[in-house]
Amino acid sequence: MASKVRKNYYGYFFVAPFIIGFLIFGLYPVYNTIALSFTDTTLMKAHGSFIGLRNFERLFADSTFLTAIKNTWALWLMNFIPQIGIALLLSVWFTSTRLKIKGGGFWRMFFYLPNLMMPSAIAALFFSLFSFYGPVNQFLVRADLLPQAIDFIRSPSVMRGLVVFIQWWMWFGQTTILLMAGMTSISVAVYEAATIDGASMWQMFKYITLPLIKPVMIYVLVTSLVGGMQMFDIPFLLTDGRGSPANSILTNNILMYMKFRSSQGHIGAASSVGVVVFIMTTFVALLIFYLLREKPVEKYKEIKQ
Amino acid sequence: MKRLPIVFSILLIASMVLAACSTAAPTKAPAAEVPTTAPAAEVPTAPPAAQGKTVLNVWSFTNEIQTMAIAFEKSHPDVDVVYTMIPMTNGEYQTKLMATLGTKAVPDVVALEAAFVKSYVESDFLADLSAMMPIAEELKVYPFVYEVGTSDGVTKAYAYQATPGALFYRRSLAKEYFGTDDPVKMQEILGDMDKYIAAAEVVKAKSGGNTYMVASNGDFMNLFYANREQPWVVDDTLTVDPMVDKMVETVKIFRDNGYEAKATQWQEGWFAGMNDTLKDAAGNPKQIFSYFLPTWGLPYVLAPNATSSDGASTTVGDWAVITGPLPYQWGGTWLGVMKDTAQMDLAKEFVRFCTLDEENLTNWATGVYTNEYLKAIDPAVPNDQYQAAGDFVGSQVVVEKITAGFDDSELSKFLGGQNSYGGFAAAAPTVNARLMQGSDDAIQRALNDPLNSYLEGTVTLAQMWALWKDAVRNEFPDLIIP
Repeated sequence: MASKVRKNYYGYFFVAPFIIGFLIFGLYPVYNTIALSFTDTTLMKAHGSFIGLRNFERLFADSTFLTAIKNTWALWLMNFIPQIGIALLLSVWFTSTRLKIKGGGFWRMFFYLPNLMMPSAIAALFFSLFSFYGPVNQFLVRADLLPQAIDFIRSPSVMRGLVVFIQWWMWFGQTTILLMAGMTSISVAVYEAATIDGASMWQMFKYITLPLIKPVMIYVLVTSLVGGMQMFDIPFLLTDGRGSPANSILTNNILMYMKFRSSQGHIGAASSVGVVVFIMTTFVALLIFYLLREKPVEKYKEIKQ
Repeated sequence: MKRLPIVFSILLIASMVLAACSTAAPTKAPAAEVPTTAPAAEVPTAPPAAQGKTVLNVWSFTNEIQTMAIAFEKSHPDVDVVYTMIPMTNGEYQTKLMATLGTKAVPDVVALEAAFVKSYVESDFLADLSAMMPIAEELKVYPFVYEVGTSDGVTKAYAYQATPGALFYRRSLAKEYFGTDDPVKMQEILGDMDKYIAAAEVVKAKSGGNTYMVASNGDFMNLFYANREQPWVVDDTLTVDPMVDKMVETVKIFRDNGYEAKATQWQEGWFAGMNDTLKDAAGNPKQIFSYFLPTWGLPYVLAPNATSSDGASTTVGDWAVITGPLPYQWGGTWLGVMKDTAQMDLAKEFVRFCTLDEENLTNWATGVYTNEYLKAIDPAVPNDQYQAAGDFVGSQVVVEKITAGFDDSELSKFLGGQNSYGGFAAAAPTVNARLMQGSDDAIQRALNDPLNSYLEGTVTLAQMWALWKDAVRNEFPDLIIP
């Protein structure tokens, strides 16, 4: 009897590394962030004092913070919608048994390549390309497409567009790979049956592919949301690290970092930004799960009709 | 056998801990990624310490002080200075240093740049170095150099440099537009801001708009900020000195009248103007008449960029330097000792050697620290570690002794025979830094973006100030902002 009990402990040993790692590197920082957000702690003085919700009051009274929230959502949505669209199209093409596109592996790698580049290199590249004395201006003026050089770096809409484009360009390959993995796991027999029944490509996509890759779609949606709400490196590195021009690419995390690296290092105030982003992300992620939850009975009825 | 799972899980944990340390990747929990934890986790790479020697940890944001550290090891053979360089391009250095405060990772000696030296001098993290003041007086260190390192009567940081500002102009262009390239006459022509604006109009008219008076609006910032009469923060209240309004007015005039090349300071176009390779988007060559740069701007910025990368275009010998429309000071590196250091005496000695040692300062300024000199002490020294002659040091005693020696130096040839050292020596005593505060850098940076929007015409003057106040409020939650 004793040996039976002991055997059950093995499981705990095997999950111990994850649990301990998670507690130290996952849960504790979250707890500490929340605790710090109620204090006025700075890096330049050792101990902060408890100030209740003062940080949050200040945050919501601050128009810069609301700009950051709006920007983050706008930048994420503007890059995610085309990203998922292109990724769906590409993965349908590359997994299609009808089209049989050659070199699928090559293209998959090719689309993924931008993701392997350093964000700092990409940001520096685009900054030089679009600077006032840079090649884009030279090309456009010499080709008579522009009467005179435009200061792109100072244009909010151009810089926003650049951030959206770079984010899209860096991440559509990743999304394509995930969706392709989801699609290749669908049995070919289902498509064959549909083809025999005379289904069109669109019908197959809508009634077979989409419902069956829903778990992958949820995964892509939630991870992209989490990543998008924490968008930092490209907008931070592209201009002056303060979201200029005119706060147009100021995201939540840039704001948080600005508070953290201010001359006193206001980590209490910075944490409050982190907490708000955490609550917002969690809420929306749960909403996604709720809206895309499995509703098997209704679907069965639909198909019967 | 039964121990096996425990050993296994310990190994796994260990490997996870290592993996977590080696990657800078954030944890998966969204809000857990507050950067407070990230910088502390990464340990900056420093060369391993030699055995049997006392280790002194020095942190800086350039490799300049390493040259002095090597020279220090020559006179202190039992000491190993472990030098850590962290760039400050986007504030990495400040962030890393702030994150180590109060931990065991704190270095012994820290280099502090003008932008943030005050926040450390005003804090309790630096040791009191007031005992060295008699040496500073003996060497006649320029007052603003130690005033910056002093808070409430306690001196906590010293500098080896003094950094008065100056105006550099192109001799050939001055001859063309003003009929003279003589520094004395040019100082009369450009002697105050109204004259400078009038001269900008002359340059524009005579060049047909192909020569700009300045390359960027950033050139003006330090000039005006250094001439304020009130600091940014008075009684915890954000204060705008009339000089700041004057600055906004001036840069607007320069932008609207096309006196400024719309380049960005420290970017490609700004540097291209130094070696005469600036071209507008249509390919027409454009020239820059003058640059506002401090002492260190000559050996570290202007001289290295005066020849284009393909060597085809050079402006060496075509420059001259004058005080310009307003006296000012810009930048500088101070050295302080962290209060928590275990090597207090040695750290103090290092600061004294770097900043208040007549021999070292003389060697530093006159180019004694060549590669051969440094390699004789430590053969592993990289080839670009040498210190060329010409940095302007903070001791008036040293400056007076060495000024004459610069008459035939490389830098004097660069300036068409002008001895810049003499010019800086004349400007240094007039500089004052009593307005400098720890919050200056952040407050001034916050103005850049709204100011540029105003210059572009996308916001009004009132909107510009409102945007700036929002940005300042964001970084200084306790400041009263009217």
